[in-house]
Amino acid sequence: MTALLDIRSLNVDFRTPRGRVHALRDVSLQVPKGKIVGVVGESGSGKSTVIWTVTRLLAANGVVESGEAIFDGQDLLTYPEPRMQEVRGEKVSMVFQDPMTSQSPVLSYGQQMTDILYRRPEPDAEKMRRAVEMMRRVGIPDPESRIAQYPHQFSGGMRQRAGIAMALLMDPMLLVADEPTTALDVTMEAQIIHLIRELQREFEATIMVVSHNLGLIAELCDEVVVMYAGEVVEHGDVRDIFYRAAHPYTRALLECDPAREMTRTRLLPVIPGDIPDLHIKPTGCVFAPRCPKAMVVCRERQPDAHTLEGGHATRCHLLDPGLAEGPVAQAEHTAPEAVSEGPRSSGAPLLEVDHLSVRFRIMGALKARVKGVQEPFVDAVLNASLTLKRGETLGLVGESGSGKTTLGRAVLGLAEAHLGNVTFEGRDVLGLSPAAFKPLRRDMAMMFQDPVGSLSPRQTVRALVTEPFEIHGLSKGRLDEEAERLCDMVRLPLNFLSRYPHELSGGQARRVGVARALALNPKLIIADEPTAGLDVSVQGEILNLMGELQREHGLGYLIISHNLPVVRHISDKLAIMYLGRLVERGDSEAIFARPAHPYTEALVGGVPQPDPDKRRALVSIEGEVPSLASRPSGCEFHTRCKYATERCRAERPGDTVLGDGRIVTCHHPLTD
Amino acid sequence: MNPSDIPAPAPDPVRTGAAERAYSVRREKLILFLRNPQGMLGLFLVIMFFASAIFAPVFATHDPLTMDIPNRLSGPTADHWAGTDQLGRDTYTRVLYGGRVALEVAAIGVSVSLVIGLVLGMVAGFGPTWLDNLLLLIFDAIRSFPTVILALAAVALLGPSLKLVLAIVIVTSIPSYARLARTSTLALKRTEFILAERSLGASTPRILARHIMPNVIGPLLILSAMDVPVVVTIEAGLSFLGLGVQPPTASWGTVLNEGYLIIRDTPWMVIAGGIPLVLTTLGFTFLGEALRDIFDPKLRKGR
Repeated sequence: MTALLDIRSLNVDFRTPRGRVHALRDVSLQVPKGKIVGVVGESGSGKSTVIWTVTRLLAANGVVESGEAIFDGQDLLTYPEPRMQEVRGEKVSMVFQDPMTSQSPVLSYGQQMTDILYRRPEPDAEKMRRAVEMMRRVGIPDPESRIAQYPHQFSGGMRQRAGIAMALLMDPMLLVADEPTTALDVTMEAQIIHLIRELQREFEATIMVVSHNLGLIAELCDEVVVMYAGEVVEHGDVRDIFYRAAHPYTRALLECDPAREMTRTRLLPVIPGDIPDLHIKPTGCVFAPRCPKAMVVCRERQPDAHTLEGGHATRCHLLDPGLAEGPVAQAEHTAPEAVSEGPRSSGAPLLEVDHLSVRFRIMGALKARVKGVQEPFVDAVLNASLTLKRGETLGLVGESGSGKTTLGRAVLGLAEAHLGNVTFEGRDVLGLSPAAFKPLRRDMAMMFQDPVGSLSPRQTVRALVTEPFEIHGLSKGRLDEEAERLCDMVRLPLNFLSRYPHELSGGQARRVGVARALALNPKLIIADEPTAGLDVSVQGEILNLMGELQREHGLGYLIISHNLPVVRHISDKLAIMYLGRLVERGDSEAIFARPAHPYTEALVGGVPQPDPDKRRALVSIEGEVPSLASRPSGCEFHTRCKYATERCRAERPGDTVLGDGRIVTCHHPLTD
Repeated sequence: MNPSDIPAPAPDPVRTGAAERAYSVRREKLILFLRNPQGMLGLFLVIMFFASAIFAPVFATHDPLTMDIPNRLSGPTADHWAGTDQLGRDTYTRVLYGGRVALEVAAIGVSVSLVIGLVLGMVAGFGPTWLDNLLLLIFDAIRSFPTVILALAAVALLGPSLKLVLAIVIVTSIPSYARLARTSTLALKRTEFILAERSLGASTPRILARHIMPNVIGPLLILSAMDVPVVVTIEAGLSFLGLGVQPPTASWGTVLNEGYLIIRDTPWMVIAGGIPLVLTTLGFTFLGEALRDIFDPKLRKGR
């Protein structure tokens, strides 16, 4: 087995005004011909730096200190720039994370694709034919006409397909995919994974996938390289990594993935601590400060590479000869314990959403009149009804564009509702003036999606967490005490109070967001994607904190998320949303175990499992979310539903109450 | 497992990575500025401008109005460093005092228009669409007047005075500040942190003053630094035409004007009146450009 790309002891530094950051240290990895190799690691692990170094697209302050990247027999790092340009695109091509920003918005796909073929001495008609062929190959319907379109006319999933088509156009020897599905929904992710696997077989391509998503890696890859803080800690066959992980970091990472936990746990596993400062070259094992098995030797000496059977290798002192323990058993160092359910949901409903509809105007009244459009609106939320009790957590799940965020905002009066009622503790809160709503905001708080972006950038943490008191004129003169109390509550060290949001990591910023939401002891918190932008090891910390505060204060949570595996662990009830309508509501355990709506089934099945033996043969759901502006007739899901019948196409289903109290909006609920 | 077992970020006696990064960003910007020769030259010239104007009486060798008839129209001498004018007044002293007029117009003109422009711009950006459109219409209407012609018309109606010059400078420069503030506000209006503030119940004035203003003021300050020479030249130009500062008060414009009349006898007055104008313009432009290069990441080199 020959390696197409062989990276040997690569060391890369970044020059910063504060000295050098040792971003990659002694990184060696092989990409064998015809295989899919996954590079997995959290943010700051240096996985992207590896790609940029190999493609020689490193930022201006990056320096390759030493090492080789042998590609097809020659060291890429010694190539002069003009030759490197021939390699990029021709022999090595890339699929980027966000197709919206990596494709030129002002050129049509046809133009972009013929541009890629500019080195080929072929007539333009031939180039266009190839481009159309490739677009067809990646599953873009009607490629002859769609090739003349621009990226903004494509949906997210289609754009990523087109991105893959562009990367494959030159028939590259190596395809590098950088987080290829991170910007996509679960159902799209499944389709893209399926597509990449198919194409790999067809083209016998060699693929290097970089991702933080363990499920994606398990589904897609043959071999896996695990990186932590600029070092390769373990590499091997995908089954070796997922079943016989030897390094404590790999094991911790696997345990943190909420999709792995098949039973519902209230407490998610975490990896304590932060990624080390790479300005200083670590003297011992780089993972030692966070390692539950760390020994004295781990802090003193760097571990050597130990080779286990079958090319599986790791760097850990636990495998040193002479150590009594030998290869460690699958120790669950952060074994989640069941938390007593305690006095949970009880009493009268805290929040009731009754047949709520929110619509957005898409053209002015005059223009609509001139154009003869009867209803110049799109309905973002339609007829949604929810009930949330005190101390209860309701998970609102759907793909992007399903209206879940709009629903959350409408409850807080941040988006204008069109029809329906929202009652909070028995009081009607819809349509209140901002002044009349203000006292209610003490009891209802919202956490926003972007942990750092939802904090005002020029305010200190102290100013941010005490702002609710200032706005509502409370606790005058005791703001410092309050700030300290809140900091303690979310376990943020007190010296963080003088920091600014950009000085915080994602997890720390999220803690500030939690503290701010809890400042006035609210009864309800609406959390929009509380784990978005956080690493797996940190998301558990935040959710555990939220759960603990819920038990302490009897909070009601409305958690909005697209991440079903995460939401399932912390929710009592689930509501599944599709195109602005709730399609299934009920107990979260029951929904997850036996989805009744085909869409729920697709969502549950769409989550890639971090288990290479559970690869899905078929994509659970085809097609894409239709546009809100042109809703399908009858049941709006029928265009993607594999159980759809004539009745579904013609008639809108009503709510069906199942035996266990679940409400499903489907003509043919999946009951056994 | 009880709640206290849930790991928290370790309390850190030293600064952690993120804080250190932010700290180093600030220091990095300072270092970048100190290493920028153009910026340092600009800073030096700007300090000179302020110092010479504020401490004019200290640096002056004569009284700006005292006439030394025997030595009228002299070139540079030991007594009169930059020569004298047709009435024998010391040109060096008059240029120093002229700087005070320039500073006064620049400081008041720029700061007042900055404040008004900032407020109007934020209101336009954050307020309802009709208000935005109305304000934009007014801004664009004002911008369509040529400043000097507007000043000529106003002076013809109301008579020449420094106050009028100031008023014209302020009115005509408000739109450019307001436009910039409006654009930045529009960009911020849809961000999550503004939505987060609204969800806490913050009032619009509070959002504008505490959360929008600190984020839009930076580019405005840089623009204002680059606007100072424009204002100074408008003042000098109007004074040169006899529409601004009235004799015998010294201004760079009046010194130039008087020098222009006697340029066949001696070139020194035109030179002495022109040099500070050139240096001030260069100073503020260099300073403004250096600040913009450092604080506007889009224009910085490298990735």
